[in-house]
Amino acid sequence: MAVRQLVNDPDDFVREALEGLQRVHPDLIRYHEHPAYVIRAQQSDKVALVSGGGSGHEPLHTGFVGTGMLDAAVPGAVFASPTAYQVRRAISAADRGRGVLLIVKNYTGDVLNFRIAAELAAEDGIQVRTVLVDDDLATDGQEDGAPGRRGTAAVVAVEKICGAAAENGASLDEVAALGERVVSSARTMALALAPCTQPGHDKPSFDLPDGEIEFGVGIHGEHGIGRRPYAPVRELVADLTKPIVAALGLDRGDQVIAIVNGLGSTHGLELSVVHRELSVFLEDLGVRVGRALVGSYVTALDMRGCSITLLRADEELLALWDSPVATPALTW
Amino acid sequence: MDTRAWIERFAAVIDERGAELTELDRLAGDGDYGTNLRLALAKVRANLDTDDPRTPGAVFTSVSNAFLNTGGTSGPLFGMWFREFAKGLGDEELSARSLSVAASEAEATVRRLGGAEVGHKTMVDAMVPAAQALTAAAERKADVETALKDAAEAAQVGALSTEELLAKRGRASYVGEHARGVVDPGALTVAWFFEAATAA
Repeated sequence: MAVRQLVNDPDDFVREALEGLQRVHPDLIRYHEHPAYVIRAQQSDKVALVSGGGSGHEPLHTGFVGTGMLDAAVPGAVFASPTAYQVRRAISAADRGRGVLLIVKNYTGDVLNFRIAAELAAEDGIQVRTVLVDDDLATDGQEDGAPGRRGTAAVVAVEKICGAAAENGASLDEVAALGERVVSSARTMALALAPCTQPGHDKPSFDLPDGEIEFGVGIHGEHGIGRRPYAPVRELVADLTKPIVAALGLDRGDQVIAIVNGLGSTHGLELSVVHRELSVFLEDLGVRVGRALVGSYVTALDMRGCSITLLRADEELLALWDSPVATPALTW
Repeated sequence: MDTRAWIERFAAVIDERGAELTELDRLAGDGDYGTNLRLALAKVRANLDTDDPRTPGAVFTSVSNAFLNTGGTSGPLFGMWFREFAKGLGDEELSARSLSVAASEAEATVRRLGGAEVGHKTMVDAMVPAAQALTAAAERKADVETALKDAAEAAQVGALSTEELLAKRGRASYVGEHARGVVDPGALTVAWFFEAATAA
């Protein structure tokens, strides 16, 4: 029997969702259909931020278009890169003459299509810079020629912090340098308690035996780096956090921004418990959680599970994090 | 040489033989190549109707934009390949010289963006020999039909050479030895494209 989902025709799924998003937030965003992108309802004279990627990760990226974050988001089909042509058109729509920063998660299709769009835009005289987000520790340490670490939940921090700097009037070079700094200071680990199911499909993306979890998953429903026995959340959080602390070299007295992210079907109560365990774990190490974002922000359709992202933070990053933001999915 | 008729013949070949490409991709990749290519060519036809291009450069711009608006990684790479034909051919009547310059720029662009070289079992294995054949034809001052026939032959030999190769780039590189014995569908597409130029 097919998995039950709230869907009409799977081929119309992404478009209908974007039309719905615009109806919720007509004050913040506009949905442009041919080609598809979401753009701020009111643009202002500043460096423009454009991101995007496959759909199925909502609220990323379309939910982060608005004041203090993205100027445009370019959605592909579910788990598939947007086309170079879509990205090129979104760059032109977002550009206000101060240049455009592309924020790209590290996947082969996204990298190629955004790179081509950037080259075409540059030929037409638009200043473009790209920040490549590759925070997923599960895909660290690959051999030469491999695609490298995947981009996952740290992209929210890149979009928030670069968005704040652009709103403050920073130049394209300054915003790009800030984005690079956030990427190099952030790492993520994720686990799945249950797989996800593509719209219209009758089978989930993998089978998980009773009593096991999938450790080191990404955000496309693929297998992780290994199976582990299911365990109380305290142990699972420690397993996720230890490699991040080691990779960032976090030590007593350091401060972080923590993102505890649900992968799609994880309840808020569970995420709050994850954050409690993460805070206690870090306090024991003497690492201070300066700010925290807890909720489902970078999802893999209806996957059950969570990711933890830590970003080594200083006063500049904290101030940019605290700057006002008004988007469908993030507002303060 | 009517460039638009060439593209229409190419689209017809993909309609007729697209299932062969899908089967090759099913054996060596993820099986969506033929479908994506047919979607791209449907967009090509729509663009040709809307744009009604009258020069070789304008025809290839319509083709390029259609491929750049197609998903996957082969779509955008073909889009940039055709874009160099648009730039190189411009408003002039086709010649062996202009085709040789365009095809050489085009294969260089695909190698740069895709990171693949000859022998990696990709579309590049047909693009490079086709460009070399066009250059050789231009040097001996061959006419455009002869040059394109030479290119089609060279692309076909290049495409068939991928059968025994182990993939180093692209989707087939994930399946390793499983793809040995399978012709690369991207390279075969390039061969069919040049064949369509002079087909009756």
